[in-house]
Amino acid sequence: MLITMQEYPWIVIIILLPLSAAILSFLFPRRVKLLGLLLALSVIAAVAGLAWQVIEHGAQRYAIGGWAAPLGIELYADGLSLLMLMVTALVCLGVSIYSTGYFNRAYFRRSRAIYFWPLWMFLWTALNALFLSSDIFNLYVTLELLGLSAVALVALAGGADALTSAIRYLFVNLLGSLFYLAGVVLLYHRFGSLDIAILSQHIMSQQMAPSPAVWAAAGLISAGLLLKTALFPMHFWLPPAHASAPGPVSALLSALVVKASFYILLRLWLEIFPVESPVPGQLLGVLGSIAIFWGGIQALRQMRLKMLIAYSTVAQIGYLFLAFPLASYIAWKGMFFLLISHALAKTAMFMAAGNILHFGGHDRIKDFDHVVQYQPLTSAAFALAGISIMGLPPSGGFIGKWLLLEAAVNSGQWWLVIIIILGSLLAAAYIFKVIGFAFTQSEMSHQTRKVPVQMQWTALALALAAVLLGLIAPWPLALMDIGLPFGEGGSG
Amino acid sequence: MNNIYLYSIVGAGLFTLGLYALISYRHLLRKILALNIMGSGVFLILVALASGETPDPVPHAMVITGIVVAVSASALALALVLRVQAETGKAELPEESLE
Amino acid sequence: MAAMTLLPLLFDTLLGLSLIWLAWRALTSTDLFQAIVLFIAFGLLMALTWVRLDAPDVAMAEAAIGAGLTGALLLATLARLKANNKTKSAPEKKFSLLLTLIILPVVTGLVYVVLTLPQNTPGLAILVAENLKTTGVTNPVTAVLLNYRGYDTLLELAVLLVALLGVWSFGGVPKPHEAYSGPVLNMLLRLLIPLLIMVAGYLLWVGANAPGGAFQAGSVLGAAGVLLLLAGWQLSTRFAELPLRIILVSGVVMFTMAGIVFIVSGRQFLEYPPSFAGAFILLIEAAATLSIGITLAALFLGGRPGLRRHK
Repeated sequence: MLITMQEYPWIVIIILLPLSAAILSFLFPRRVKLLGLLLALSVIAAVAGLAWQVIEHGAQRYAIGGWAAPLGIELYADGLSLLMLMVTALVCLGVSIYSTGYFNRAYFRRSRAIYFWPLWMFLWTALNALFLSSDIFNLYVTLELLGLSAVALVALAGGADALTSAIRYLFVNLLGSLFYLAGVVLLYHRFGSLDIAILSQHIMSQQMAPSPAVWAAAGLISAGLLLKTALFPMHFWLPPAHASAPGPVSALLSALVVKASFYILLRLWLEIFPVESPVPGQLLGVLGSIAIFWGGIQALRQMRLKMLIAYSTVAQIGYLFLAFPLASYIAWKGMFFLLISHALAKTAMFMAAGNILHFGGHDRIKDFDHVVQYQPLTSAAFALAGISIMGLPPSGGFIGKWLLLEAAVNSGQWWLVIIIILGSLLAAAYIFKVIGFAFTQSEMSHQTRKVPVQMQWTALALALAAVLLGLIAPWPLALMDIGLPFGEGGSG
Repeated sequence: MNNIYLYSIVGAGLFTLGLYALISYRHLLRKILALNIMGSGVFLILVALASGETPDPVPHAMVITGIVVAVSASALALALVLRVQAETGKAELPEESLE
Repeated sequence: MAAMTLLPLLFDTLLGLSLIWLAWRALTSTDLFQAIVLFIAFGLLMALTWVRLDAPDVAMAEAAIGAGLTGALLLATLARLKANNKTKSAPEKKFSLLLTLIILPVVTGLVYVVLTLPQNTPGLAILVAENLKTTGVTNPVTAVLLNYRGYDTLLELAVLLVALLGVWSFGGVPKPHEAYSGPVLNMLLRLLIPLLIMVAGYLLWVGANAPGGAFQAGSVLGAAGVLLLLAGWQLSTRFAELPLRIILVSGVVMFTMAGIVFIVSGRQFLEYPPSFAGAFILLIEAAATLSIGITLAALFLGGRPGLRRHK
């Protein structure tokens, strides 16, 4: 008998849609742009379907192949994964529209441009599969799919910079994955299962201290994921890779890819790592704080816009780790809100940078000749995105930082308050540096090109989304409560 | 059976050897070799502990998956190395190389 | 009596030490060609180790893919690197005390932790064996790869495809290999290629009940492809476009379609009714063998077939 709309396996559809689109794009390169747009719209519909299921019936568990864990692989959708899926879908919708302009035949060699679409769709498949997986080895495979597609996308730009940063990125990915896999091996042999829920039961319910294997696994997995998330001091690979990639790819990397490994780390930290002492949390907080300053100062020093934005990502990632020493309900929510708004704002920023690059042929900040006058939409997009990055109301960035500040004050860790405030000042400094130069006249004039409309409008739309996110703040915050790890049965 | 632990230790040794070589050497081909050997080390630990009276087939499947992933990554890396050499003249990362 | 238990241990110790020694030599050898050859030898010794550890499926995959194909890829790349670069790079004899001091505790910690893990625990072997009847195959590794954890295999086929996409996107021109063709090689190929295809077919068929399966069969097919390419064989342009792409994606496509066929009748994704399971798995593995083999050969080719060098 046929199943009704509400019982559609949306959780599987969300993964299969980008996979099928990727295959079709590979087979029929003439239709890629249409396929991209269709994909974006259909995934949004599928995510809405899953959201309905999760809100109505709570967190969803799906046993692939009919085999429940530990024998088979289970998918798991709760509020957290849903939010990640939504942000991903929104960003990718923007990217799908933006890229129809960016990879236009005249500006990007068509022979290479057609590879963007299937690679991007495989990247999206990997992201969706990652956010929905409840199996630590399955997560390894999704991480590899994610990494390889990301590397190939970076290398699409061609040229020495992009290629060297691509191969460095590849090595970083592989090293991180191997450390992660080593941890998985230890956990499997200790507990005989790869499922997060089962591992959580085993580890969290132990009366005595966890065995060395668990500690070592936690360390190895964290090391691998921290490398992929580019937390200071393992951030060295990020600025060149994000800066030299093609415009929409930079957006995807900073907004989504780097958050995917962070998401896994967060889940495992909250659900299976037996963190009792405050030391690991403090360590992460310290590294995050250094990242905020290091990223901010380096951003200020940059000559090129895309490098500035890339270092801004390094700094913003630092904010995410401030939640670990706080480890309170409010802190986690603030951190997550920051994550979402950063994804939207950073996409808008990189899109704006791509527009400016397209417009003037370069992204040297000092030579931004009257960009505001000729590219009002793009400049507005950058400024609005900057509002969220700085953390001004009513943007999503403001809500996130506000929650973090509240958590820091509550727990009496005043040093974090100072860091958040100083970090925001640094962000304001480098944002205003860019905006300032956008108003000035440079010494030499140069050839300008027309920027396709869709590129301008998507940048602006996403920036607006980041700014207005604060206004609808209660809704995502409520969504986070569904399922683990903040809802019932969770330890957050 | 002691050989299980023996092979696990060999696996740990291979992992570390590979890690050392990955960090120390600058030539990109060597880094790829190092990563492959690191992978073999992890696989060895995985399968060694799964052998014994009742061999566990799940780690075997995991390792087969891992081998295919490794060859995919190696193929991508090798093609990239050729492009890097074509653009920069050397098969090495610039001075601020992988730590 | 003691000698009976001692002999296997001696063998294992020798094998283990040889693995470490070969790996060390491969990584530290100054000549890259020597390094790669040692790496291939290391891979073959790993295959032997897998046999020793009761993992024949893994042994086959390691020998064909890990040692054979990876080795071929490395050698081909080295040859191209040398052809493009007349100058030699500085030899790298590096020993960093700092790095050794950092890595030493890592390896000791890892060894200690590994020794605390229980040995001889069946892990999931019991669950696998209990449900084997409904999977449609009797080889437990095939059951895990194609049924219990088929989703991982699906994603892994996607990884292979992405790697090929990446390699193609770099725009390299396929390597010319005319130098090797000659009457002896051609005659040898006429014997070998059909033989390899038969072996691949056999491995595919037998994989349901004995060591073997799609990956092993696919890698043998890939090896046949590499041989053809080395002899200068070129894909006719008629097939280089859509037909080739269709074959390349057939593994993923077949897997996905088999997975969704039964959703309408209320089953889960990738769930097969026990009566159909065996046939479905064979179908999926056949498509996967074909696409794995062609993908591996295409990865060796290094560039998109049909591309010509721009002068």
